[in-house]
Amino acid sequence: MQYEIEVAGRMRHVNVDRTGDTLAVTLDGRTWQVDAARIDAQTLSLVVDNVWRKSYDVVATSDAATAQLTVHVGETPVAVAMNGRRHKGRKDGAASVSGPQRVVAPMPGKVVRVLVQAGDTVRARQPLVVVEAMKMENELRAGRDGTVADIHAQEGASVEAGALLVVIQ
Amino acid sequence: MDISPVAVYSECDRTAMHVRLADEAYPIGPSAPRDSYLRIDRIVDAARKAGADGVHPGYGFLAENAAFAAAVRDAGLIFIGPAPHAIETMGSKTEARVAAERAGVPVVPGTKDPIAAGVPDADIAAVADRIGYPVLVKAVAGGGGKGMRTVVDRADLSSAVRAARSEASAAFGDAAIYLERRLTRPRHIEVQLLGDAHGLVLPFVERECSIQRRHQKVVEETPSPAVSSSLRRAITSAAGAVARTVGYTNAGTIEFLLDEDGRFYFLEMNTRLQVEHPITEMVTGVDLVQWQIRIARGEPLTLDADALLAPRGHAIECRIYAEDPDNNFLPSPGRIAALRTPGGPGIRDDSGATAGLDVPIFYDPMISKLVAWAEDRPRALARMRRALGEYRVAGIKTTIPFFTWLLAQPEFVDADVHTTYLDEVLKARNGRPFVEPTAELQEIAAIAAAVQAALSPAPHNGAAHAGTAGQWKSQARTEGLRQN
Repeated sequence: MQYEIEVAGRMRHVNVDRTGDTLAVTLDGRTWQVDAARIDAQTLSLVVDNVWRKSYDVVATSDAATAQLTVHVGETPVAVAMNGRRHKGRKDGAASVSGPQRVVAPMPGKVVRVLVQAGDTVRARQPLVVVEAMKMENELRAGRDGTVADIHAQEGASVEAGALLVVIQ
Repeated sequence: MDISPVAVYSECDRTAMHVRLADEAYPIGPSAPRDSYLRIDRIVDAARKAGADGVHPGYGFLAENAAFAAAVRDAGLIFIGPAPHAIETMGSKTEARVAAERAGVPVVPGTKDPIAAGVPDADIAAVADRIGYPVLVKAVAGGGGKGMRTVVDRADLSSAVRAARSEASAAFGDAAIYLERRLTRPRHIEVQLLGDAHGLVLPFVERECSIQRRHQKVVEETPSPAVSSSLRRAITSAAGAVARTVGYTNAGTIEFLLDEDGRFYFLEMNTRLQVEHPITEMVTGVDLVQWQIRIARGEPLTLDADALLAPRGHAIECRIYAEDPDNNFLPSPGRIAALRTPGGPGIRDDSGATAGLDVPIFYDPMISKLVAWAEDRPRALARMRRALGEYRVAGIKTTIPFFTWLLAQPEFVDADVHTTYLDEVLKARNGRPFVEPTAELQEIAAIAAAVQAALSPAPHNGAAHAGTAGQWKSQARTEGLRQN
């Protein structure tokens, strides 16, 4: 399986190949033997053979609102964007696996500013809408690159938690 | 103590830990505080329905509300806290200052009486001149840093007064303000007290709470590295004297400012148990909440007064908040996907959070109080660092990475701090993120994301991986649990 994963602004090409019980993971040309054991739905224990056998406790969670994946490696949360294309040895150029990205209001508030319009191309982390809640302004950002398909947010409107604001294809 | 606890809860707190642990639970209304936790009538009603003997107001909400204390008492229940008159007197910042002066305790130079709305600007300016700049404009009914403004230049006084009044009016329904000299680089030193119904008031070893972000405490420790034993004797005696002047009973805390010359001034009194009470419990071995209940039942204090002023070891607390330190500490409500709290020697985590819980948006986003105790301050700091490193919260942002950074700051390690220290260093960071994964961690995160995806194909991938599902199933050894 091949993946394109963005970490800290850089795209990494990662290939995961199963050989018996270990995974051979190739990242940007280097290969490691990775022993992966699942602890629970979000938690993995990785022992990476790279001279020393380093043990990493990894918890992966995704934010439903922004499709932002956070991978905690030990105590450090790392923001990760999976651009979703999986290839089984062939490039099929298919559309993003995760489908349209729905940006919703994380809490009740008021839409203060809409920063994009339908048709705009957006990059990951680009601010889309500003919602005021708990007396502070929250910038809601795109979880990944895409095109703004629909804008449901209206400047000045009050919104409930979970209200759909922007859809990105 | 063989007490059967009864929980009251708002709508969003139905699944909160206190409801799950209580013997009985009664709903008191919708999630917004004004519809539930601030409803005196509903809480007293629930207490009556449950046939309760007493009510513990906790901290926040109605804990320092004299009307609530009176309503509980009038309903024939025991209020586990001070008497209504003590709450009322010390709850007014100006009256509290008068009480302190009567007790012979120096107060921060400032106004004696509240300055009501409508007092001419010129009169206020004259008062400020007498007090001396810089001047703090504060709300008489205030708390939590609301309704406060600093004025360095005379020219800015009237607009600061207007702004403070407007904020105070909105937050507390009372536009009265007062003025205080703003001390330069003071330390916040507070004294825990217990008073019984027989007139005995016992002070405890001081706590230092100088690490504040916008006037909100984030780290507290005891004893204060800046307080010598003679200063401790003086400041705790002063606290006791003030409390006795108003006939204070049950738990309370008197807050002081310690200036750079080692002089202390009465700031205010909190007529309730405080968030940071666990650190005092750790260095004195006293269960403060238990004593609150015993005092409320009429028991006399049987603690050794000297022992309370001779701390064993050192304790420090970090308030873990669901806030994003890399986004101006914006609240980060949402579902806690995974939680692992630290343990081991000297670690205490007071929390209501669990995995699967939604951190509500309606209340203060504190998810836990992490406390570390050790034989001395350096070891307590080391334990706290270890505990922070073990703390796992996934699904929401927390201030844990911020604390890891803070505990490495040389000024903090040297205890060379004051009440605006944190605001100053945060400003100097200029928004640089607290979370800066190293290249190695970035690589591991990418590997982990890919492995996670490879081992748990997303349901909406449809036909693309129907074939692979069977392949993975046969590799059961790598899968600890079945996915759904």
